[in-house]
Amino acid sequence: MPEEFEPKIVAFLCKWCSSAGSDLAGVSRMEYPSNVVPITVMCSGSVSPLYILSAFNRGADGVLVSGCHPGDCHYIKGNYYARRRIALLNKLLEFIGLEPQRFQMSWVSAAEGVKYTQIIKDFVKELKPLGPQTKLGRNL
Amino acid sequence: MEKVLTKKFFPKWVEKLKSYKIYAPVKENEHWSYTNIDDPENIDLDYPLTTLSPKKIIFPQREIFLEFTASNEGGTEVKEILPAEEPSVIFGVKPCEAIALTLTDKVFSGDIKDPYYWKRRNQTTLIGISCNTPPSPNCFCVSVNGSPYSKEGLDILMTDIGDKYYIEILTKKGEKLLNLAKGLFKSPTANDKKNTEQIHIESKKKIKRQIENIKKIPPKLKEMFDSPFWDEESMSCLQCGICTYLCPTCHCFDINDEIASSSPIKGKRIRTWDTCQFPDFTMHSSGHNPRPDKASRLRQRILHKFQYFVDRYQNYQCTGCGRCISFCPVGIDLIKVLDKVSDYGL
Amino acid sequence: MVNLEDLKKEARQILKDGKAKYIIGYKKGANDLMPTPAFITKPEDAEDLVWNPACFHNLTHFLVDEKRRKAKEKEPDERPVGIVVKGCDSRAIITLLQEKFLNREDVYILGVSCENTGVLDEKKLAKKIKGKKVKKVEFDEKNNFIITTPDGKTKIPAEEILAEKCIECKANFPVIYDVLFGEKVERNIDNPFKSLEKIESLPREERWTFWKEQLDKCIRCYACRSVCPMCYCDECVADTINFAVTADTTAEEKAQKIKWVEKSPVSSENFAYHLVRAIHLAGRCIDCGECERACPMDIPIRLLNKKLEKEAKELFDYDAGFDPEQPPLVSCFKDEDPEDFIR
Repeated sequence: MPEEFEPKIVAFLCKWCSSAGSDLAGVSRMEYPSNVVPITVMCSGSVSPLYILSAFNRGADGVLVSGCHPGDCHYIKGNYYARRRIALLNKLLEFIGLEPQRFQMSWVSAAEGVKYTQIIKDFVKELKPLGPQTKLGRNL
Repeated sequence: MEKVLTKKFFPKWVEKLKSYKIYAPVKENEHWSYTNIDDPENIDLDYPLTTLSPKKIIFPQREIFLEFTASNEGGTEVKEILPAEEPSVIFGVKPCEAIALTLTDKVFSGDIKDPYYWKRRNQTTLIGISCNTPPSPNCFCVSVNGSPYSKEGLDILMTDIGDKYYIEILTKKGEKLLNLAKGLFKSPTANDKKNTEQIHIESKKKIKRQIENIKKIPPKLKEMFDSPFWDEESMSCLQCGICTYLCPTCHCFDINDEIASSSPIKGKRIRTWDTCQFPDFTMHSSGHNPRPDKASRLRQRILHKFQYFVDRYQNYQCTGCGRCISFCPVGIDLIKVLDKVSDYGL
Repeated sequence: MVNLEDLKKEARQILKDGKAKYIIGYKKGANDLMPTPAFITKPEDAEDLVWNPACFHNLTHFLVDEKRRKAKEKEPDERPVGIVVKGCDSRAIITLLQEKFLNREDVYILGVSCENTGVLDEKKLAKKIKGKKVKKVEFDEKNNFIITTPDGKTKIPAEEILAEKCIECKANFPVIYDVLFGEKVERNIDNPFKSLEKIESLPREERWTFWKEQLDKCIRCYACRSVCPMCYCDECVADTINFAVTADTTAEEKAQKIKWVEKSPVSSENFAYHLVRAIHLAGRCIDCGECERACPMDIPIRLLNKKLEKEAKELFDYDAGFDPEQPPLVSCFKDEDPEDFIR
């Protein structure tokens, strides 16, 4: 019986909201798939497109960027910048033919443990039929 | 040994060479390059200059030296990766490109012969085609001791004489290829010989460009190391890598380790092309860069090709293909620069 | 029509008056078709200036070189540098001003209008004249290019051999200048992003195949980056060849430098380099088309930047290179920015 494909998701989570939200899911013992490699960043606005492209380059099957809701950013404006930059990167990746389901962004607050688990569950469900990401991944 | 081959038999000859990996110039959109081909009908020997020379087949842009894995006991396992055993034939090698390989041969020889380069070099047979018309408006092979029908470095030289090819077999490697399809070749008539000679003589006359006083250049360059000439000439240079990457004689390389995983540590040691025109080519780890500006890097390129190489190997490190002139985005013209050098100070 | 003599006169005068250190313009190149960048210091050398449909180069790139040169001098000459710019090139100057890379007083801009045409595409020209040698190319008063070959003069309607970028031109005359040569002709481009249509209409897997085929050709010569005026970073993140290492850089710092992209010209690394470059140029690229012209492997590299230019306009109503006071695209936001893609 062939092993089912388990997608590897790299998630850039902002420290103040999304990362805290994922911690809330953890301490509340909520179950969600263990496919995520979480990377805490100070703010979603600090996520450079280079990080995302590098994640795909190293073989990530999916990349998630998650930050505070608009208006709630700890650094006031960071998530607004992220909204712009991620929108542009999204369009670029779509243009070169990467499956749009592989790159996602979400607003998750520190209280939204449930939302976080739902986002990950949905993400894994959407990635499984796509199989491993071979387009941008390294094969050196 | 000389033979002729009727053009319509040419694909049949190629078919007999199935045991070899065949490379030939192929056109993709407007772009010619030496590609591995399966169908001999795709070979077109009447083509302008390719962008990249066949150097890329013998000295590829990316080459794996060895693989290493950190073993559990604490040491490292190292596995040497030599090029695959792959006898190859390259059709349509222009004489300048074969001469270029004889020049890179000198560099990769010496006390220690580069095993990667030589493995490929020895297993590749070069079938040249003489240039009845200059393949580029910037050709100047004659100025650098070359010619459109030079046999140097080739195993076979073909000349297009209308409905047939005149075949000159120059080495045992070349002879081997002919023997695989003996029946297709005929002995040349006296007319064939005459035609070929005529075409060769005419082809030399068609080369439009030349370097005015090339013999003056190496000694002149020796005096010009500190001259402000290089600042002026390099003003418009962009420091891209085009002239060096496309040059059939350029051979500088970089060696890097590419790590595939960090636990356990696994990776490969890779050689890639590098160019003296990149700002960090000579960057030392202390932060000092002996060639910190465009002027010193342009000077390096010209001096290497027309003075240092001459001192060391008694040859210009240039075969006159003209690619650096045709592809330079800002139109820096090597011939014009060299003409200025030979007149400098007068 | 642009009067070349007026341009030469202005250049001569500025140099005579010492108003500019030197003037960056176009002069006749080694072959008859393509001019080459000229750096004119003496007033009498202004006679070398040319203006014709083969003046493709974006000379603003040399303003970046000038800044670097000045930074190394102990007592730099503070006079401005004169520069001949087309419409697209002038937008590059505005982007450099916007980013405070240059000051307005550092440049004396000699703007030249392309009026109704633009610059030609060398490959289209070669096809049109079927390999004949070009001796001269000129503009004419109507929208034609006059090509002189050994067989004589031919008039070709400009649109047949116009560069792709000129077909979608948003600035056929300089939007910033100290002196303007030629007329400010209003030109309406019905579809400013036409070149993207073909690729955008392809299904996703075919788009991928297209880009994979193209970027597999890349030899990482970095000509696209070297020719771009906006790629002025001392240390490019996307590759390992340009570390800004000084005597003060510690061993720790050197050991921990991240290698984002390997030097090998393999598919994954080529994609990483080109995608990072495209996204770093979002809202900054003004489509001078030089990257594509310089590429020796004929990769349609400007389309990546064009796509982001289109998205910047459609999503955020942003046009690069028109207003030096405008904030950079990715350092500003509007409350109404779309967020339908965010969960």
